[in-house]
Amino acid sequence: MRRTLTLGARLCLAVRLRLAARLSQVACLCVAACLCLAACGPQSTTHHRPGTAHDVVTGPATPAPGQAHAEITITRGRVSPPPGWLEVAEGSPVTITVTSDTPDELHVHGYDIKAGLPAGKPVTVRFTAGLTGVFAVETHRAKLVLTQVAVR
Amino acid sequence: MTGVLAHGVGERSDLPIPLFYAYAGAFAALVVSFLALGLLWADPRFRGDRAGRPLPVRPPATPLRVLTLAALLYTVAWLLAGPAEGNAAPYLIYVLFWVGLVPASLLLGPVWRLLNPFRLLPDRPRAPLPPRLGYWPAAAGLLAFTWMELVAPEPAAPATLLAFLVLYGGVQLAGVLRYGHAWLERGDPFEVYSTLIGHLAPVGRRADGRIVLRNPFDGLDAIAPAPGLVATVCVLLGGTGYDGLSTVPAWIRVLQSGPGTALGTLGLLAAIVLVALLYSACLALAGLIGRTRGLRPRFAHSLVPVAAGYLVAHYFSLLAVEGQRAVILALGLEVRVNAEAVSPGVIATVQVAAIVAGHVAGVVAAHDRSVRLLPPARAVAGQLPLFALMLCYTIGGISLLLA
Repeated sequence: MRRTLTLGARLCLAVRLRLAARLSQVACLCVAACLCLAACGPQSTTHHRPGTAHDVVTGPATPAPGQAHAEITITRGRVSPPPGWLEVAEGSPVTITVTSDTPDELHVHGYDIKAGLPAGKPVTVRFTAGLTGVFAVETHRAKLVLTQVAVR
Repeated sequence: MTGVLAHGVGERSDLPIPLFYAYAGAFAALVVSFLALGLLWADPRFRGDRAGRPLPVRPPATPLRVLTLAALLYTVAWLLAGPAEGNAAPYLIYVLFWVGLVPASLLLGPVWRLLNPFRLLPDRPRAPLPPRLGYWPAAAGLLAFTWMELVAPEPAAPATLLAFLVLYGGVQLAGVLRYGHAWLERGDPFEVYSTLIGHLAPVGRRADGRIVLRNPFDGLDAIAPAPGLVATVCVLLGGTGYDGLSTVPAWIRVLQSGPGTALGTLGLLAAIVLVALLYSACLALAGLIGRTRGLRPRFAHSLVPVAAGYLVAHYFSLLAVEGQRAVILALGLEVRVNAEAVSPGVIATVQVAAIVAGHVAGVVAAHDRSVRLLPPARAVAGQLPLFALMLCYTIGGISLLLA
């Protein structure tokens, strides 16, 4: 009695295993088909980034006292003051003023803020630090890290 | 798109962990080490490759590998024809593949062996794999990938990734044609990476090919020493350590003070050499105290959990946030990335817990190996350098999270 039961159970297991193998093969094919479809379909052009409202002003900034602010100049590939950290409390405003001696593009990572930097003219970006983490502020052409905004 | 800092891709890096977490982690590591020294067993317990309960599963390897091949071709198509902004390929490679292999292997064992598209090639070796080669090809491959991810001027540029893929594919193809599938076990950097981490999984693959359920410590014990194993683990540890250094302002200043790529290369190599020197010095000391020779390759397995802990600590938030972006971009979904999917508190907890857990597992694995290899009277004293080594790695890892 016991032996037949075990045999039955074994048979059952074998059938189930074969079924599982078949099912997983079908699943694999389905995923492959989906991937192909996705590849052929239109590529997403509306690529959202978690950017918050910000504004870009040409000219120096007049930040309120006590507000997170960095003033950075780039001369012949040198960043002054040397790249450090700009500590910001979550939800508070940040102002960064950059003056570059060559035309370049400024990029605040994570907040996805981009601003053109005309040669020799100060450009100010203002935004609210809504995301926590450490975000690099870089120039795209010269590939310089200007500072890192640490939001906590 | 161009992430100059860390990880190849990614828009944010983690905040330094609160000082309290760091002290708690370091203290826990210290206490566990000394408790282990005094309280753990005096006779070896782990049975390595003999352990485990066979599982009645046979994963459908060929369909899975065809699927990986399709995913690979899809990624290459993105690299060749995708847009410069919002290209999915760097996210697929650096996040889903490279980082995703860590949790997948930690849970399911050597997954890249199962998925490796190069295993679709026929296994017809023309020559036996020279034993002297060992893990050296994998160490070199992992170094190349880490260099591309952390040091290369444009880690996310399609040209960079295509060059790497062509080089990687060419080497694997040549290796398989000459040495058969045996090459992949030692020469494919990603298979070695996944298999080494997979030794920590509850599901393992024994040398006889059986899938077994086993104690992860038995799995760890089953890592066979071979030439280049120490180097491979040191590349993983040193590379992740360098990754932690790359957001430190002082290091950024150094990089921007001269030729950045050359200085970055030197920094990466220095981090790996430092990890390796520390290991060699501590093992030499353990050998002197324990009066036993040839210990160096036989403790490399105890560094695998330490490396896995570092990897989890450094990549957890990247996988949680940029992993979403990888899926969204690859499938063209109209969804936003939830950049706050994990809070800073959760990230800090996972980071410290991963490093301390890796430390504890490393200490236990090293303890079992010492009581097997060292004469009983010297087993306790001989372990002291090993504990010092683990503590150095752990405190180093925690300090990098503080920086």
